[in-house]
Amino acid sequence: MTSDAELIGRSLAGDGEAFMEVVSRHEAAVGAYLARRAGREAAEDLLGEVWVAAFESRRSYDRSFAEARPWLYGVALNRLRHYWRSRPAEDLVADVTGLATGWDPWSAVDAGVDARAVLRAALAKLKPEEREVLTLVAWEDLTVADAARALGMPAGTARRLLHQARTALRSAPDVAALLQDLNSVKEAHR
Amino acid sequence: MTDEMDLVSQLKNAEPLRPEAYERARTALRAAMAEPGSVRVLKETPVQNVGFPGARNRRRGVGTAGKVGIGAGIGVAAAAAAIALVATSGSSGTPVPATSIGAASQAPAAASPLVNLAAYIKANDHSSGDASVVIQSQQIGSKTPDVSYFVYADNGIYSAQSLRGLRTAITPRNNILDSGEAADVKVAASAANGNLASARIAMINNTPNYLGLGLSPSAQKKEWAKGDQAAKEVYKEKGAKGAPKPLNAKTAQEEADNLLWTNSFVALSVDGGNAAVREGVLRLLSTISGVSVAHTTTNGAATLTLTAGPEVFAGDGNQVLVIDATTGALVSSVSNTSGVPQSVTTYKVYRVPLSDIKAGKLLSDIKAGGLS
Repeated sequence: MTSDAELIGRSLAGDGEAFMEVVSRHEAAVGAYLARRAGREAAEDLLGEVWVAAFESRRSYDRSFAEARPWLYGVALNRLRHYWRSRPAEDLVADVTGLATGWDPWSAVDAGVDARAVLRAALAKLKPEEREVLTLVAWEDLTVADAARALGMPAGTARRLLHQARTALRSAPDVAALLQDLNSVKEAHR
Repeated sequence: MTDEMDLVSQLKNAEPLRPEAYERARTALRAAMAEPGSVRVLKETPVQNVGFPGARNRRRGVGTAGKVGIGAGIGVAAAAAAIALVATSGSSGTPVPATSIGAASQAPAAASPLVNLAAYIKANDHSSGDASVVIQSQQIGSKTPDVSYFVYADNGIYSAQSLRGLRTAITPRNNILDSGEAADVKVAASAANGNLASARIAMINNTPNYLGLGLSPSAQKKEWAKGDQAAKEVYKEKGAKGAPKPLNAKTAQEEADNLLWTNSFVALSVDGGNAAVREGVLRLLSTISGVSVAHTTTNGAATLTLTAGPEVFAGDGNQVLVIDATTGALVSSVSNTSGVPQSVTTYKVYRVPLSDIKAGKLLSDIKAGGLS
């Protein structure tokens, strides 16, 4: 299969359909990325902006990387930042609100707490760059190196940020309690 | 054993986007591909069918004229989504040779009219403010003219459908400036005072190309070979008949002139209220041999009419710009290209304080007359 890098190269040579092929390969993933961070409605508005921005900046794409998805996440993050900055002040709550809809992993856990709220709160307390690395790895299934590429930082920095994020989460009392409860339930069902 | 990464991973679920959202996004992209800089993605109307100061008649930066036709097939219509630049008819903005009216006295003497006007602007421009406001009226074919209002300031461009609308349009969310336009404006401003030869190359290279400008002759020929190969691949991909013209000294010059003209025009149409941009653009355009300049009058005012002939457009069509003979601001733009409906675009350009726009002051309160 032709690599994304080759397709982007072709598009720079005037073949627009080549870039459309890149889009078709990654639109579901990029759409989901946006939806996780801004909700479906905003994601639907932003997706076109992401493609246009990516197309217009494709000359900056490092074609030594065969796969474009991390780069596209980086472009999408820039559009999200525009979006977050432009939201009315009353909407400026933590970036991670509205992350999860319709999901309840805790039906088997009689923990008596709003687990999602706990997690959201813990994520919101992370530094933005820590949160970005963490969610790119946990949600988008990127390697740390690819997450670093998406964020335009050295891989070593991304590794450090991921470590910090995980440590912070584990250290958060509510999250620690959740983990303890969850693992206790698992033990009880063995 | 569940750890913190498992917990976070389980939060990844989100409502999937609806199929029409993907299609809408692709449509926006296709419009942008057809006419870079033309697309503004909005909630209800993802693609705005409005005129845009930065509308580009750019022939893609790869290779020679033959490739232009291939690229044009990509977004058949540019038409639907964006913006054509324009062809003429006898509107009120139609220039008349100054010799018949004798009203070109405000313009500098013109052994080299564009360079002289640039110098004249530098010495005489007293406009103040930090934002360009461009009011643009575009008529395509027999359709009703479309009037749009644009502000260029703070590295952004914002549009509205009324003067009053500009006040609320200036937000990051509404910024529709693309990186290419920003680069064009930057180079144009630098050309006002800097090295013209360097600025010329920079402006051309704002569009990716295989011209190899500034390289040694041998390195340049290697670039041309790459360009030829890329053009052949495009032909092959598109199933086009014939073969692209190879890059050589003549065709490379033609393409360089095309890119210089179109990118300079973008800068002028986006930030034409900025005196430095106007100066720089005039100096850059003065280096194109395929551009002729005539002294004219338009609605009784002294103007210069710049005609970029077919040699600037790969042998197909032309573009005529009318600019104010004392300010260099755009008055109208007219182009003819095979297969593109005729349209006429006229401009009114202002330099104003951004704070006044944000305060909701109408241009009539800010300044009685514009630069064009």
